[in-house]
Order: sequence, then structure tokens, then C-alpha cells
Amino acid sequence: MSNLELSRKTIETATRKPWQTFLIALPMLLFSLMMLTGGNGLGEDPRELIALLITYVFVNTIFILMVHTGKIDKYRSILFITYAVCFVLWFIPNLIEARGSMNYTSEDIIQGKIPFCHMVTPMILIPAVLKRMIIFPGSLMEGFASIGGMLIIWLGASLALGRGFCSWGCFYGGLEDGFSRLKKKPVLKKINPKWRYLPYAVLLGVVLTSMATLSPTYCVWLCPFKAVTEFEKVTSVLVLIQTIIFASLFVGLVIVLPLLTKKRTQCSFLCPMGAFQSFTNKIDPFEIRIDREKCSNCKVCINVCPTFSMDEASLAEGKANLSCTKCGKCIDRCPKKAISLGVKGTSPKCGTSGGVRLIFLYPAYMFLVTFGGGMIQDAVNRVLLLLSTGKFIQ
Amino acid sequence: MKGFLLGLANGTVCLASCVPILTPYLLGQGQTVRRNYLDLGRFLAGRLIGYLFFAVLAWSLGLLVDQKSVYREIIFGGSYCFLAGLLIYYSFRKETGLCAMEIVKGGLPGFMKKSTLLLPFALGLFSGLNLCPPLLMALAGAASEGNLAASLFFFGAFFLGTSVFFLPIPFMGLLNRKEALQTIGKMAAGLIGVYYFGMGILILVGGVNRL
Repeated sequence: MSNLELSRKTIETATRKPWQTFLIALPMLLFSLMMLTGGNGLGEDPRELIALLITYVFVNTIFILMVHTGKIDKYRSILFITYAVCFVLWFIPNLIEARGSMNYTSEDIIQGKIPFCHMVTPMILIPAVLKRMIIFPGSLMEGFASIGGMLIIWLGASLALGRGFCSWGCFYGGLEDGFSRLKKKPVLKKINPKWRYLPYAVLLGVVLTSMATLSPTYCVWLCPFKAVTEFEKVTSVLVLIQTIIFASLFVGLVIVLPLLTKKRTQCSFLCPMGAFQSFTNKIDPFEIRIDREKCSNCKVCINVCPTFSMDEASLAEGKANLSCTKCGKCIDRCPKKAISLGVKGTSPKCGTSGGVRLIFLYPAYMFLVTFGGGMIQDAVNRVLLLLSTGKFIQ
Repeated sequence: MKGFLLGLANGTVCLASCVPILTPYLLGQGQTVRRNYLDLGRFLAGRLIGYLFFAVLAWSLGLLVDQKSVYREIIFGGSYCFLAGLLIYYSFRKETGLCAMEIVKGGLPGFMKKSTLLLPFALGLFSGLNLCPPLLMALAGAASEGNLAASLFFFGAFFLGTSVFFLPIPFMGLLNRKEALQTIGKMAAGLIGVYYFGMGILILVGGVNRL
């Protein structure tokens, strides 16, 4: 059996008994209800109630299936992709309702009306320390997506998940994750491993140039996700060039290359936030471990890893690379069950039974529901609005 | 003293302007701390020459650099483009290193030997030839000095004040995983080079349009 055939083969995982699943899922059933209602009880608008019900049933069905079957990546990806799509369906209409279009103007920048995005985090830290200056045109503490609020959420997610944030929290990641799963076989297989260093170079470049120019250079020049959020109105050749760059990067790295390689290429080859987040894997207590005794060196994990975080060196070392996003795909696909999620500093056998993975699942799911639940709910609400009134924007 | 204090007060801003050029270069070299200090010395020497050029310019123009002059944009736009060209050249240059045995055997072409020594100097020179806010303040400060020697001395003291902030940078030679860091440094040099080239072209076009 070839490596690819092995990688496609679904590895059977022992399912839990229904009562066990229920007990494990119960705290999350209550937590998600609290988060989705905002602790305010149920509203009176029937459409909003239906949207709440659909979201609640959806996110918890996913959680129950993850716990019951143990196939975490399979169900995580469904929720993660839905989250990304719903983010777009939530963000753009809200922006159009507030501003009239997806464009922002110089006035919006001067007035600090740009919602803060986690991608800017590595760029603002050094100028904030060296020059006591926030180089992003957003609100520091007040209003929607304030800088302070987003930084606190990011800090919490980093401590709990490390770079797992990229597979459980990032509202962009699901887009390329979705495209990378559309084809059965990769068309492009041979990729020079040196390209894995590119996000670190982009990180270094944007941090240093942001410090020198006191502007978030990645957002201005490179961020591909402006295509699905907001971008500057084209009023000059300069802005036109910037628009062409981000649109090309979106098409190339978020749609085409993930389709051809079955990898998350934007995360692997460009994202400075991902590179920055990799360092938080050092402080996060969870790590992917490879049991060298069980490993048959079939390389399935190397083939299926969406972020190039498994290679020959990591197999020899018995753990994933620093860039691991803890999506769990390697654990689910390993034919020998040689890969597990463990806790740093504990014995190698700790986590092999799947208990640690379950412990990781709680904060990961809590973060996803807290951050994404409202977006999914709003997106469902808008779809219902479209079906009932023919309007998507109010 | 005034120049030195001005340099000390604005050192972080100068550091912010020069670090994007210096850091990728030193990372890309993957050298020891001692060799990094040698390269920093070359970089700073280039930067000092750039500063002294401003001192002469300030004195010879009398009015120092006219802030509204289109020539300012052409000079600095051109300087940005040169700087970018050097960074891009560096990122694509095949690293042969300065292995002692190879030099003894004459294995390296003469140009490569020279460029390894001259590149940090040239990077320092062209980064010194850019008007960052502290340099504008130094120009204004030197304007009050009135003669060439005083102007040179002012810029020299300003250079010393800002250079203090560069001293810790070579310690990146202590970092592990040098091969990976070298690759990252070279890639970053190329990316920053492309960025500066774009900036340089924009400044040049702005200057030419105003001619």
C-alpha cells in the first residue's frame, strides 16, 4: 500500500459510550448556550431565535462528534471552515451597513475607525515599547474590535493553544483549509522545504519596516485577506498597485495553491502572524509527540500535514516542528497510532490514550465558540433574512 | 555635547530606521558575535560618512538642506533605490564566505572578497544618506554652528550618540540554528529591498514631477 493510499485511509478510532460522551460534552453544552445568548436570555425576534437554535445545534453536534468518535480534525475542519465563511458573511454586510461599502477612506484612518485584526499584532508591539505609540488606526479600548480587547483575546488564546490558534481561532484560516480539502490528490507535490522559512522572513521584514515607517506595512501592502474584509478605495496608482498585490496574493495563496498542494499555503509561506504565533508554541503546554517505537516511517503524517510541520527531522526528533497548528490531522491519520498530543515535561506515555487531546479540546472549542459563535449566528440570521425578505443587508 | 545628546535622545528612532537594513544582513551572514561587530563597524563607518556628507552639505548650502527642494527627493529617492539594490543583490548572492583557506588558495574572485567587506559599508553609507526625523533635527542643530568644522563636529557627536543603540545587535551571533536564520535573513533582505525600491521609486517620481 502506497503512502498516499495510507494517508487517505481513515483510521478507525474507538468511539466512546453515549453516556460518557454526554458527560464530557455537558460543560460545553452549557458554556456554548451562555456564550451564544450573551447571558441575556432568549430574545423575542423569531428569526434570531431560529438562528440561535441552528448555531447551537450545529456547534454542539460538532463537539459531540469530536468527543464521541475521536476524529477531531475531520469535525474541527467542518466547524473551522464554516466559521471562516460565516466571518465573511458577517463582516462584509456589517461593514456595508455601517460605511456603505467595503472601502475605507483616509478619514476613517484619521478617525481611527479601522477594526483591529490579529494579523497586526507582531507589527505594533515593538513601536509600542520603543516609541510608546500604537501604529494602527483603530480604537484602543472602545467600540468594535478594539486594539486592547483583541490583544487580550490573542494573549489568552496564545497561552492556552500556542499556534493552535491558527487551526482553532483564526477567522481566515478556514478559507484556505477549505480549498485545500477540495481535491483528493495534490497536483504539486515537490515543494522546496526552504520556502517554510518565508513567513519568518516576512515577519522580520514587516516588523522592521513597520518600526521604521511607523505604519503596519503588512496591512498596507501584503495582507491577502483584505479581499474578503476591507480595503482602501482606489484613488491613486499607488493604491491600485496595493490592490493588485493583495488580490493576487489572495487568489494565489488562499485559493489556487491550496487546491494544487492540499496545504494551507498562505499560513505556510506568507502569514507573519502564523510565524509569530509559532514562538508561542514554546510557552503552550501542549505538544505533538511521535512514538519512535510505534512509528513505521510511512510518512503519512508528512504528506497530510497542512503546514509542513512534519518532516524527516521532526520524525527523528519525535515531535512536530515549531510551526505545528495542532489541527490533529496527523494524529487522526497515523496508521500506527504513533502520534499523540502530550503535555510538556510529562512522561512520553502521557497523552497516548487520548486524554490530553480531550483536555486540549476544551479550551480550543471554548475559544472557537466564543469568538466564532456570534459570527456564525449573525451569518445564519442574514441567510434567513435573505430567504424571508430577499435582502441580505438591512 | 548638544549633538551627542540629540543622538542619544533619538537613538531608538535611528535604530528603527537602520535595523531593517542591518539585521537581515547580519542574520544572513550567520557569523560569530566578533565578526558581527566587525561588520557593524563597517556599517557604522559607512553611516558616519553619510552623516559627514550631510554636515558638508549643511555648511556648503548655507541654508542647510532646503526642506522644500525637489533635489532632496531626487537624492533621497535615488539613495533608497541604491540601498534596495544592495539588499536585493545581497539576498541573491551565493554565499561563499570568507574561509581562510580559500583566501589563501585564492579560491575567491577578487570582487567577491571586496564585496563581502564593502557591502556593510555601502549599506551603512546609503542608510546614512536618508533623511529620518532625527537627522532633520541634527541638520537644524548644525545650521546654528555656522562653520564647516563645527558642523562636522556636530554630526560626528550626533553619530556617536545614536551608535550606542547599535551595540547589542551583533549579539544575534549567539543565536542557534544558524542555517535557518541565514535563510530567513537573506529572504528578509530581499523583501525589504523590494519594499525600499518601491519607496525609492515613489519618492523619485514625486521629485521628478515637481521639477
